[in-house]
Amino acid sequence: MDIVEFREDVWGREVLLGVSWDLLWVVLTLSAVAIMVHIVVMTFLKSPPRPSAAGLHMERHAAVDRGFHWIMAVSVFVLLFTGVLPVVGVDFSWLTIHWVAGLILTAAVVFHTLRALFWQKPREMWVGADDFREPFDAGTKPGKYSLAQKGMHHAMTALVLLVIGTGLVLFAMIDTPWWNRSNALDESTLGWIFLLHGASTLGLIGLVALHVYFALRPEKRFYTRSMISGWISEDELRANHDPARWSPERSA
Amino acid sequence: MSAYDVMPDMELFQPVTVEDAAALAERLGSRGWVLAGGQDTYGWLKDRAKHPKAMVDLSSIDVLNGIEETDGGGVKIGAMTTLREVSRDQLIRARYGLLAAAAARVASPQIRNQGTLGGNVSQDTRCWYYRRGLSCYRAGGNICYADSPEGMNREHAIFGASRCVAVSPSDTATALVALDATMVIQNTRGVHRVAAGDFFVGPAVNITRMTVLRPGDILTAIELPADWAHAEYYFEKVADRNVWDFALVSIAAAFRTENGTIRDARLVCGAVSCVPRRLTSVERAVIGKPRNDSTGEAVAALASEGARPLNYNHFKAPLMDNLVRRALRA
Ligand SMILES: Cc1cc2nc3c(=O)[nH]c(=O)nc-3n(C[C@H](O)[C@H](O)[C@H](O)COP(=O)(O)OP(=O)(O)OC[C@H]3O[C@@H](n4cnc5c(N)ncnc54)[C@H](O)[C@@H]3O)c2cc1C
Ligand code: SF4
Repeated sequence: MDIVEFREDVWGREVLLGVSWDLLWVVLTLSAVAIMVHIVVMTFLKSPPRPSAAGLHMERHAAVDRGFHWIMAVSVFVLLFTGVLPVVGVDFSWLTIHWVAGLILTAAVVFHTLRALFWQKPREMWVGADDFREPFDAGTKPGKYSLAQKGMHHAMTALVLLVIGTGLVLFAMIDTPWWNRSNALDESTLGWIFLLHGASTLGLIGLVALHVYFALRPEKRFYTRSMISGWISEDELRANHDPARWSPERSA
Repeated sequence: MSAYDVMPDMELFQPVTVEDAAALAERLGSRGWVLAGGQDTYGWLKDRAKHPKAMVDLSSIDVLNGIEETDGGGVKIGAMTTLREVSRDQLIRARYGLLAAAAARVASPQIRNQGTLGGNVSQDTRCWYYRRGLSCYRAGGNICYADSPEGMNREHAIFGASRCVAVSPSDTATALVALDATMVIQNTRGVHRVAAGDFFVGPAVNITRMTVLRPGDILTAIELPADWAHAEYYFEKVADRNVWDFALVSIAAAFRTENGTIRDARLVCGAVSCVPRRLTSVERAVIGKPRNDSTGEAVAALASEGARPLNYNHFKAPLMDNLVRRALRA
């Protein structure tokens, strides 16, 4: 199994082509194993009583942020499917759908970044020393986001920025309504861009698998609900968060 | 890059049934190569630009040979039938003169004696960068050499480019699309049929293949329906040389007329895109009109509408228009 794909050209030189798609099966297998191990561990762990969803509604995500989240989610799924299905042998005209989804993701990320920096509290996402006590001390509760959620967000941010950055370079190489395809980059530079684009795609596949799994877990499902309806209950807030570190408004 | 006179070392399988051929091709996957007349294949091997490990030679499978009438007035042509037979066969000449004319314009007499109809429609593109073994998009790489300011792209596509700008080189493909042919494909999972119009694949859908055939698929026959038998036909191929040369642009046209008026039409251009290009706007425009010069004049420009020529192939657009004029002149 290869990690990186090379090809020998007619002059016997090695040309870097990009990431080896054999790794797709490795990523899928590792994600499945990680999920299975977590399921087994959680089955044997005694879980605390689940907080009630009844009572006051506290705002966790504003409508605009939920909108951005789902736009980003849909565009990431479209990007992954249109990027990977042709690799595994499903033939369809994928390129236009792929770059349109890529542009939508780019726009959503730009808006999200601006909103997070100027209209939200970016500090809520920062990882501080307190966060590292959470996994080891049941008495330490997180602010708005747990260490695991922050870790997922930051890993996702790094990979999405890498996939967008390399994707935009590749986008400049193909026909679009605004410009004609170009051969401006040499093969080895393109090889590196494809390598980074492919590697970040593989990373995203693993992260998305874990993200979806945790979003569906029974004890975390209220977070998923909050990404749809915007609120968590007062009981869920008290059971999972430290009011001193995060005290949300009542939801409308 | 040097070309060799000797064949590279590889295994040779000579099955006598399609089932065995399909099983072998499936087992070998991308390491295997289906061999018909070898006229496309041997170039790849002599140039050492493709490196199959084993050949599945179809020449001993009798059922793949021959031309027969089917119920309903159509004709079935075995994939291993040579181009010479197709061009000379009485039944084909009488009912589907368009295909006979197209087959007769392939390459040279020697190549037509050896090359098969199945091989002709399944052959790979002739883009020289790719044929020289460069690691372009079609070869699994990240770049197109032909589509660059310095690229030699006189023979390349003016429609349907998607990173790759190569064209389908098959002369018979245009005729088969015009005649609404059906391609019969067999693999270990069974037999399935694909319309000729869907058999050829552009780079937007798959940049490394020219047809829907995957490793393990055997094209067993080509069926021509009665619908377009005995129609009025026109085939013309423009090439730099009259023999031993690929089309710069070609046209295959079929018309059904009644009292001098066109009731139905098929016009298909070759060598302008990666798949045979049906000129559907021309087809629609000629229905209800007489087949004559003035109709040709009126609709010709529709043929090349939307073309996006490359540096060296602007001539293909007016050539297409002229071929449409000539097809309608009758
Ligand atoms: C000098 C020269 C000039 C030429 N000029 C022309 C021209 O003017 N017009 C034109 O159309 N062609 C031209 N050709 C191409 C050649 O005529 C065709 O490629 C020929 O018809 C191929 O048929 P074949 O049986 O020899 O195919 P092969 O070389 O045996 O096979 C070609 C490809 O098709 C696949 N294949 C063949 N049969 C099957 C099957 N039954 N099922 C699945 N896969 C199959 C093979 O795996 C291979 O990839 C030219 C070739 C040469 C060398
Ligand atoms: S036109 Fe297609 S086959 Fe030719 S160099 Fe470009 S990508 Fe390769």
